[in-house]
Amino acid sequence: MTTIDSTAATTRAPARRRTRTPIVDADIHPVVTPDRLAAALPEPWRRRFLRFGLRGAPPPAVYPRVRHGGMRRDSHPAAGPPGSAVRPPGSDLDLMRSQLLDPYDVVAGVLIPMQGHTAGAEEPAFAAALCRAYNDVLVTDWLDPEPRLRASICIPHESPAEAVAEIERRAADPRFVQVLFPSGTFLPWSDAKYRPIYAAAAAHGLPVAIHLGGTEGHRGDGWPSFYLEQHAWYGNAVAVALTGLVAGGVLEAVPDLQVVLVEGGVSWLPSLLWGLDDAWELCRDDVPWLTRPPSEIVRERLWFTTQPIDEPPVPAHLATTWEQTGMTDRILFSSDYPHWDFDDPITALRVLPAALRRPMAAANAARLYGLTLPGGDDD
Amino acid sequence: MRLAVLPADELAPGEHRVVRVGTRSIGVFRVGDDYYALADHCPHQGGPLCRGSVAGAPVATGPSDVRLDEGHVLVACPWHGWEYDVRTGRSYQPGDAPARSLPASVEPGPPGMTPGPYTAETFEVTVEDRWVVVDTGRRPVTEETS
Amino acid sequence: MTELFDADTHVAPASFADLAGSLSPYWRDYAAGAALRADPVQASAYPPAMVDGPAPHDLASLRAAVLDAPGPGGARTGTAVLTCTTAFDVSRNHAFEAALCRAVNTWTAQTFLDHEPRARGSVAVPLGDPAAAVAEIEHRAGDPRFVQVLLPVRGHDLRWGHPVFRPVLAAAAAAGLVVTLHAWGRVGSAPTTTGFTHTYLQDYLSHGQVAQSQLVSLVAEGALGALPALRVTVAECGSSWLPPLLWRLDKEWRGIRREVPWVDRPPSRYVREQVRFTTAPIHLPRDPAELRDALDVLGAAELLLHAGDHPHRHGDGAARLLDALDPAGRAAVLHGNAAGWYRGAGAVVPHVPAPAPVRHAPEVPR
Repeated sequence: MTTIDSTAATTRAPARRRTRTPIVDADIHPVVTPDRLAAALPEPWRRRFLRFGLRGAPPPAVYPRVRHGGMRRDSHPAAGPPGSAVRPPGSDLDLMRSQLLDPYDVVAGVLIPMQGHTAGAEEPAFAAALCRAYNDVLVTDWLDPEPRLRASICIPHESPAEAVAEIERRAADPRFVQVLFPSGTFLPWSDAKYRPIYAAAAAHGLPVAIHLGGTEGHRGDGWPSFYLEQHAWYGNAVAVALTGLVAGGVLEAVPDLQVVLVEGGVSWLPSLLWGLDDAWELCRDDVPWLTRPPSEIVRERLWFTTQPIDEPPVPAHLATTWEQTGMTDRILFSSDYPHWDFDDPITALRVLPAALRRPMAAANAARLYGLTLPGGDDD
Repeated sequence: MRLAVLPADELAPGEHRVVRVGTRSIGVFRVGDDYYALADHCPHQGGPLCRGSVAGAPVATGPSDVRLDEGHVLVACPWHGWEYDVRTGRSYQPGDAPARSLPASVEPGPPGMTPGPYTAETFEVTVEDRWVVVDTGRRPVTEETS
Repeated sequence: MTELFDADTHVAPASFADLAGSLSPYWRDYAAGAALRADPVQASAYPPAMVDGPAPHDLASLRAAVLDAPGPGGARTGTAVLTCTTAFDVSRNHAFEAALCRAVNTWTAQTFLDHEPRARGSVAVPLGDPAAAVAEIEHRAGDPRFVQVLLPVRGHDLRWGHPVFRPVLAAAAAAGLVVTLHAWGRVGSAPTTTGFTHTYLQDYLSHGQVAQSQLVSLVAEGALGALPALRVTVAECGSSWLPPLLWRLDKEWRGIRREVPWVDRPPSRYVREQVRFTTAPIHLPRDPAELRDALDVLGAAELLLHAGDHPHRHGDGAARLLDALDPAGRAAVLHGNAAGWYRGAGAVVPHVPAPAPVRHAPEVPR
């Protein structure tokens, strides 16, 4: 018999489990530690970063994440020798392998480096250097050693010229599969400012992924007091993004653009589609560029991720609601590892009928990202 | 089967530890001078329950009146934070998903909390010669079905 | 035939002149000096395309357009709750807001309630100064013709559940007044976290998002729990978004309830017991089978209150709803639910709806 100290980190995974279907995980969060970032930054940005840090407050500074600091409690890498740098969850590839990639047969995982959400809103040249450094570290520390991983391109999203340059720089590397935007931007997504970014992504066949975070300022909805309120609102944040992209004409203006809404869930979508179509009938003169029901456009251009899976009191209501989207072939499994609301690739989707959930495990994502799945994936 | 899993004095009051017995992991908790054991498996999504944090149950009438009831100790799953009474395995999150059928004693919860349907697997614990003994003989009525 | 209970129909002064008799000379001069007018568009909230004319400003037009006009299925209106949102987009001058709300409420009483027994009133309150809002509620509490307190869903920097607004909610609950969160509000506050929208369409749909934030706040801050007599109506913000919100909220509460331990029941229980929704607008699928499923998931027959919402245009969602409900559900939505909700009209104790699915007509017409 062996004992395991429950309070110490361990790289040992819980009981190893096998899936019968390969998994593509559309939302994995790596963390680039400050020392790795500094090493990748040229001067004068390294000195600026080390001596002044970043301007943007990361969201936990606004809403303390009361559950394990927002992380799976078992996802902290073992501490290094005394005096060594703190190693946060998501910073250790080996632990990610043993907790996620290996036990679940993850054949491909898409990294979403959230640090770009606030770094991308810094002063243009600094933001450009930061995002380039993040992407460089993603290549050397994650993509090169682990062929199962793909990455999202960190961009200085508030500085479109620099953002387009970073997209051009990474576009030739097929391991970068999408361009990353935060849900919190300075201006609405429909603003003309951002269109060159959408156009550059579309020109390179890269979807734009919108993920929760960034520079959010609650206004008419009022500031929440609690993390519970803020976190429950994440679905609303991406719903608002979707509405802005559709109503604001972005999808019509950039016809090759595909958009992935990450970490906002799915269940809110049918109600919004009904509302969009009803409102469009009333507001045709307000949105003359929309010449057909918005739901049709959404079903051709948007993609969604599963996490956090809802657990309705009547479980069958989940399948009912997701089928009402009319686009279950555009829903991608995501785990959100290593965050506290991680969804287990095996158990999370079990509430859905097999025929509904099976394509979400890998095939839908493979189609979007152009991935080749190992043969014999049908069970 | 009765298994001596660790010397009793290795746990100070308030501490807990995960021990591996064959292929199973079991969490052993000390609350004051009492010992309890739970299966290291969260009935929600299968997380390693006993690697979670342990704290007294929060009791509140409102934001300006919150305290911890140290007599009712809950372990929070390290994944989603769903909490279970370490004495009984009883959850305090009402919900409608079916709990796996596991033997567990049920006791009144702390004030202001409504017992939920989930129950973590518990084991009887005795201290013999200052060792903690877990009785794994109380097998689940039905094992998990896949 | 069921008599209608219309939970939201609009009235509005045609100009500041209508309110002059209820404003002090100082505020009359203030309004004249600022060239203020009671604009029916309300600073972009109700543009011409979205209304069938202005809201009634006198009894004759209210009777002609609402009270004496046939409702759904030809039913006559037995009771109508008048909603005046003229003070919603007032400036941040809280003293003027207090004077304006007092004047609006007096105008409502004198113009409609004094002459029309079918009419009920809404208390406009100055939320820039919660103490003044409490005073206005207490001023109207003894007048049984007022049945609700009106809060703009798009409000202040803090959400309505925040303790700073608790005395307002408590005063309403103590008086047996429903608190109604109504669409629009401070149009100087952007409806989204990325700012003002480029389209009316998005602004219009944003009320569903903002209402969700307000409901989450009322639960998380403990307002619904601390005030079990508090009843909340969500008006003109939609409702079909509710089930996914409650699923998400209930699940997340399980994991992080330690942050809000005073919330000692699943959030959905508070909402389903203490919150109702008007039917204008209601966004529903067009496919009959999907429609039945959507009403089932929502619990439509328990949660919805019929609203004609004259003169606002919201499309045919409410008609689809009524067509799909069975006779008992239709009667509940058209009359029974509201009669049990607003004071003076029947029972005022919140009932606990069974989670059982709604019953539907065997076949959806058409």
